Amino acid sequence: MKIINKSQVIEFLYTYFPAILLFASVLNEFDFNYLGLKYFSFNFSYILIFYFSLKKPRSLGYGLIFISGLFNDVVTDTPIGVTSLSFLLICGFAAYLKNITLRPNLIKDWIFFLMTISVVKSISYIFLTLFFSFQTNYFEALINITFTFVLYLFFCYLFSLFERIIIGRSDA
Amino acid sequence: METSRDDFVIAIRSAFLKKGTKQKFSLLGLIFFSLILMILSSFNFKALDYLRIGIKEIVYRASFIISIPENFVVSTSNRTHEYFNHYNDYQKIKKELALLKSKDLSKIIITLENTKLKKLIDDYFVSDKEIFAKVLIDKKSPFLRSIVLNKGSKNNIKLGMAVLDEIYLVGKVVEVNYLTSRVLLISDLNAKIPVTLEPDNIQAIMSGTGKQNGVLQYSKEDHVYKKNEDLLVFTSGAGALFKSGIPIGKIRKENILQNNEKIVEFYSDFSQLKYVKVVSYSKETIVVAESKEEIELLDDQIEEIERNKENLKVLLEQKKISEEIRIKIEDENKILKNKLIRLQNEMLIAKELIKKNEIQNKKIEYYELNQLYSNKCKKTFFNNLYMENTAEYKKCILNKGLIKKN
Repeated sequence: MKIINKSQVIEFLYTYFPAILLFASVLNEFDFNYLGLKYFSFNFSYILIFYFSLKKPRSLGYGLIFISGLFNDVVTDTPIGVTSLSFLLICGFAAYLKNITLRPNLIKDWIFFLMTISVVKSISYIFLTLFFSFQTNYFEALINITFTFVLYLFFCYLFSLFERIIIGRSDA
Repeated sequence: METSRDDFVIAIRSAFLKKGTKQKFSLLGLIFFSLILMILSSFNFKALDYLRIGIKEIVYRASFIISIPENFVVSTSNRTHEYFNHYNDYQKIKKELALLKSKDLSKIIITLENTKLKKLIDDYFVSDKEIFAKVLIDKKSPFLRSIVLNKGSKNNIKLGMAVLDEIYLVGKVVEVNYLTSRVLLISDLNAKIPVTLEPDNIQAIMSGTGKQNGVLQYSKEDHVYKKNEDLLVFTSGAGALFKSGIPIGKIRKENILQNNEKIVEFYSDFSQLKYVKVVSYSKETIVVAESKEEIELLDDQIEEIERNKENLKVLLEQKKISEEIRIKIEDENKILKNKLIRLQNEMLIAKELIKKNEIQNKKIEYYELNQLYSNKCKKTFFNNLYMENTAEYKKCILNKGLIKKN
């Protein structure tokens, strides 16, 4: 019988952790809604996809991101393809940032993330409003963008901490 | 300028068109696919409905599984909150119960004390008998205000008995015949009744005026003047004429005249009397004795209740101590249980080790025997024995050679 050793578990975690987390967040709407805070919402998937597309593009495949987007559309009852498009656009922005960056800087990434989510959210709202006649609460959207932007730093720290714990070093 | 535009285009192309290592799909391709899906869903394409249904099936099942940890955390937190609330409620109820118990005891004590005091007050005059009588004649002479009743000595009417209209005093029996009796009304000029004026508990003598009211004599005038309110008039019980506290009438503040004459308005209208109640009051020594006994009994009861209260306190303390002891014992029990489990685990591990050692020993024995007796069991070109590592071979080795058949 093949014995599962510690290094294999670590490798498994390191490889599939972002994908597992992405699907968990999409299926569970990981946004702390149960806390019951009135003006608090953020998009964890955006943070996750941007971070891992930027830092570890190999760990999150585009195919998985596309499928998770479809899942999210079903969960949130939005037209099929809208979230997938948003997710893939975030991947594109992250890939672009990675290509143009010579010396990574967290603050620059953070600012670029704000621009990315603003553009992506705008595109998604344009599609939803123009083609699908969805009612949009712009105030809530703004709050969502703000909290997503603010919490990016916190989750960056958490992800790098996870990497440090799992493999003993962090690339972030 | 041209170079920077080229760089931008190259970066964009690289980001969207270049498939990264381990990326099976092109980003641009997937974006286009998403757009196609969106367009199709805007046209209500039927295949997309099926796709949505299929994804829903997966999502709902997967959501249930994925939500288990979160639900567990949420439900645990809720349960913890509930437990804490239960504990707080329990403490609150316990306190309230103790308070109510003490209040209940206090109430019983007060009630008993009240009864005792009432008995003390009432033991002097006790209602002896009550006879109802009809007013036969109402004499309205200006010099004599009296009524004649249809009851006399035949009906145990005696001289000096009080006559009441409902609860209000109207007069006293002054003449008793066999079948009739005469009552002198308190409005008569000769009627002199010792009264008490409330609320200041002023003692006075009230006399009739021969009209529908009375007048106070020998009262503490200054005091009455100071009070700017109506005064209530009751019998004082002095002189043992009547029981104390029978209401007579009231003195209105406007009826206190300039010359300090205080006019008493009777509660009862004497011109309208039809039926009256004749009551006698007497000192009853037996009752007093009984009351004393009752008072002693009540005292005993109060003492017993006090004792019970103390006992209850002691019991509550004892309960607290036993609770603490129980918790301690439970903790110790837990520790011992854990120890037992640990020891059992250690025993199991030790048993397994022994088993392993036994197997190891058997193997070693087999290898040793194999070295010694392999030539006796191993199949060679010249004999027809057993193939190596077969069950028969192993049996032969352990038997130290071929089994001799008898």
